[in-house]
Amino acid sequence: MAWISLILAGMFEVVGVLGMNRIKRDNNAQAYLLFSSGIILSFICLSFAMKSLPMGTAYAIWTGIGTVGGALVGMFFFGESKEWRRILFIAMVLAAAVGLKLIS
Amino acid sequence: MNRSWIYIMVGALFEVCWVIGFKHADDWVTWLGTAISVLISFTLIIIASTKLPVGTVYAVFTGLGTGGTVLAEMILFDEPVKVAKLLLIALLLAGVLGLKLVGGSSDSKEVAH
Repeated sequence: MAWISLILAGMFEVVGVLGMNRIKRDNNAQAYLLFSSGIILSFICLSFAMKSLPMGTAYAIWTGIGTVGGALVGMFFFGESKEWRRILFIAMVLAAAVGLKLIS
Repeated sequence: MNRSWIYIMVGALFEVCWVIGFKHADDWVTWLGTAISVLISFTLIIIASTKLPVGTVYAVFTGLGTGGTVLAEMILFDEPVKVAKLLLIALLLAGVLGLKLVGGSSDSKEVAH
């Protein structure tokens, strides 16, 4: 349950960051709503996950999923670069997250 | 030293404070402290990223936040030191820093301006 909550927290972080980019571009109420709901839900899920997972592990994976999720959304929806180094770094984050899950 | 780097370091300290709060806060005083830490750290990161490239600011911030959190839980909260865990966290951090610094995202387009 903690791990599911942690993965959700990372995904909501991506929603929050999308909202942040919208605020930069459109600066309307919808953008602020997307940003604030993403960040708040992300924090709630992260806090829940941390009740049973070590703090450092949970924080690292939260950041990792947020960053990888942001990069994947950028690649698939906003035409960002899919160069091999970006794919390699994404694979490193995911491998590390799976490893942390296995040893915990 | 550039003032923005001081903002980043102070911001990272508050980052570690709110991460600790998310795990350990249990009454309204500690939750209030956690919320204030969130506001301070985000304010400082935003100020720093107006002067420095966003990708760099985020990477340094995350690196300090991750390192600080892992250290804090071992030093302050007696979390057992497991080498495999530390290595995996280092691998994860390397991936995040690489993604943020290598370019190709909308952040790094901003850097190129």
